[in-house]
Amino acid sequence: MRPSRLGFLLVTVGVPMVVYIALVIWPFLQAVYYSLTDWGGFSASMNFIGLDNYKYIFTDGIFPLAVRNNIILAIVVPLLTVILSFLLATMVTVGGSNTGAVRGLKGSNVYRIVSFFPYTIPAIVIGVIWSQVYDPSKGMLNGALTHLPFGIGGHFQSFAWLGEVKSAMPSSVFVIIWGFVGFYMVLFVAAIKGIPAELYDAARIDGAGRLRTMWSVTLPMVRETVQTAYVYLGVVALDAFVYMAALNPTGGPNNSTLTMSQDLYKTAFTEGHFGRACAMGVVLAALTLIFAGIVFGVNRLIAGREK
Amino acid sequence: MTQIDSKVNRRTVMRTALAAGLALPVGGALASCAGGGSSGTSGGGSKAATGKTSSDNPFGFSAKSTVDAVIFNGGYGTDYVTFAGKVLEKKWPGSTVKVSPSTQIAQQLQPRFVSGNPPDMIDDSGANAIGVNTIADKLEDLSDVLEANNFEGTKISDNLYPGVKEAGLVGDKMAVLNYVMTVYGLWYSASLFEQYGWTPPKTWDDLLDLGAKAKTKKKYLFVWGKEAASYYQQLLMDSAIKQGGDEVRLELENLKPKCWSNPTIQAVLAKLEKIVKLGYFKPGGAGTQFTQAQAQWSNDESGIMYASGSWIENEMKSQTKKGFKMTGIPEPTLDSSSKMPYEALNAAPGEQYVVPSQAKNVAGGKELLRAMLSKEAATNFAKTKLAPTIVKGTVPASGFGSTALQSQIKMLDAAGSHLFNVRFVSLYGTVQDQLVPWNSFLSGQLDAAGLTKALQGITDKVRNDPSVKKVKIQ
Repeated sequence: MRPSRLGFLLVTVGVPMVVYIALVIWPFLQAVYYSLTDWGGFSASMNFIGLDNYKYIFTDGIFPLAVRNNIILAIVVPLLTVILSFLLATMVTVGGSNTGAVRGLKGSNVYRIVSFFPYTIPAIVIGVIWSQVYDPSKGMLNGALTHLPFGIGGHFQSFAWLGEVKSAMPSSVFVIIWGFVGFYMVLFVAAIKGIPAELYDAARIDGAGRLRTMWSVTLPMVRETVQTAYVYLGVVALDAFVYMAALNPTGGPNNSTLTMSQDLYKTAFTEGHFGRACAMGVVLAALTLIFAGIVFGVNRLIAGREK
Repeated sequence: MTQIDSKVNRRTVMRTALAAGLALPVGGALASCAGGGSSGTSGGGSKAATGKTSSDNPFGFSAKSTVDAVIFNGGYGTDYVTFAGKVLEKKWPGSTVKVSPSTQIAQQLQPRFVSGNPPDMIDDSGANAIGVNTIADKLEDLSDVLEANNFEGTKISDNLYPGVKEAGLVGDKMAVLNYVMTVYGLWYSASLFEQYGWTPPKTWDDLLDLGAKAKTKKKYLFVWGKEAASYYQQLLMDSAIKQGGDEVRLELENLKPKCWSNPTIQAVLAKLEKIVKLGYFKPGGAGTQFTQAQAQWSNDESGIMYASGSWIENEMKSQTKKGFKMTGIPEPTLDSSSKMPYEALNAAPGEQYVVPSQAKNVAGGKELLRAMLSKEAATNFAKTKLAPTIVKGTVPASGFGSTALQSQIKMLDAAGSHLFNVRFVSLYGTVQDQLVPWNSFLSGQLDAAGLTKALQGITDKVRNDPSVKKVKIQ
């Protein structure tokens, strides 16, 4: 290898690798080590206790609930967000009239800007604003709903959107999706714009309607983008700390919106069990890796003849 | 691409030098990271040389040193510590007191504790406070602060409300100095009650009657918010302790099996359950943020009473209706045959102050505490925060213009020596777990038996956890 090439590699690959190992891999290995001890967090001494932390967290009745909540989030949030943002992106780019050039609906530019706006707001601000909107007595949502006619309004008097088991999780999921749809719509718009227009002309000649075109032409061409979006959204859903902590810092009614990251935070800083919290962190990381693995695996299966 | 001759030219030298220059410090940092965290550094920083002690300088504070204090920036702010710091700087010219506010005590101080250089004094309070149990063996015993004289020359412990030493004990060591006298009670607007001719309740049956009367005026007896559902747990415990005496308290504090099934607790819980079932709690609390809920009591007046500690006036200062004469009364008993008199109070000295043993200037930390306990600083606190410190006699009869402060002093004087304290919730950090069943109970979705079972489960979990050090409460 020429020295100039070696130098090039050293700078562009070597330096980032070193930083990555130091700041990502090494702390993770440290966390795995701490999860096998009873470290209290405030002293430099700890005892090795093996897998006791893992046994404890899976039997304490709270962490399994958090795992369940995160799995629900990981299934629902990416699915709904991708579907919604894909539909919007299709409407905005190729969903326009069936005659003439391939274009989006009238006024697409406005839709693009308006739907991207929520993504520019920091997650904590979204969480705080929506927790006020959901307030049972003074919130905007109940303020509007209580005025519905035919007596339906009466049901919503002081209805605790974040306090009832049935509505706490759906309300929180709505807030997360609301924040992300705009960004993924823009992502899909960029991907769809890369599809050659001749495909659409050909589909139109063959008599395909808008829905059929979307399913058979657009979707397969943006498969990689959908996979990327799915993985990113899955990572957000498996964490979801900022949204859930802003909307329901206590974990929701019957811990129905408690996430693993919230439980980890509480175990470490309120209860002073850093070893146990590291065990939760390791479980969280493992679940995220499994999720990414599943998405990649499914994508490869669907790829079919392309691969 | 054209082939580049492999010769040492200016370009290749620059590139390799850049790569080497970047790799070296990063590699060095990585090597130091490798040891970090788990290496035990016992002994930490060197302590400031303690000077000679005298009655005017009981801790050997060296006059030209710096005191590093990290203070929780919550309802009371940090300016009262800055004031005390100025008092200290005036007494010891050349010394400096550095006050750093923080809302995340545990998160920000954990690395300092591990590396062995914690601050000289910490106000360990708030939602992110360090559980004192976790660091108890790293804290100084503060009973020598109580034995010392204050800046005006009188012995500090002669002029304190009772129970200060006991409230700070972890084992045999008084590891915590609680600074603010917090009184738990029921709070209401005396002007609202006058307007409707209502009398403040003394027993749970009085509360039930009051709830019915409030309903006729389309108001609710109580409100609650999801982060503060545990305030009603405090009400339950305090009322049962007043009714049933110390055995009730000791069973709870020492995490005994079936402590929540004690007959007195169950009797009070039955009354509370009745209040929930009759709809006297404003609905939706489980989805309401707690300061919003409190505003419904102090500003909106859709709820007429609230169970809380005496910080409530300061906390809701900007959201209290004009003419709201905030008044506090002791928590109710079941009947007049209670073991403790009705006037007995859960007067917990709160706002935990600790001095870590590994700090650089331990004497400075203790000297700052001595300054805060002197009359000048204690009176300043009472005047600006409208809450009494543990130092008696700093609040005039006018209560600095606050009806809530006046009623606090009245309650404390009427209680005399009948003050008690409930410590296990903050010692073991169980409140986050307890909030879940309490929110369900107050929403009417869980009955008294379910709540008892859930709370007992939490207590049993702490008791059976071998990694938690238990504190025996007398």
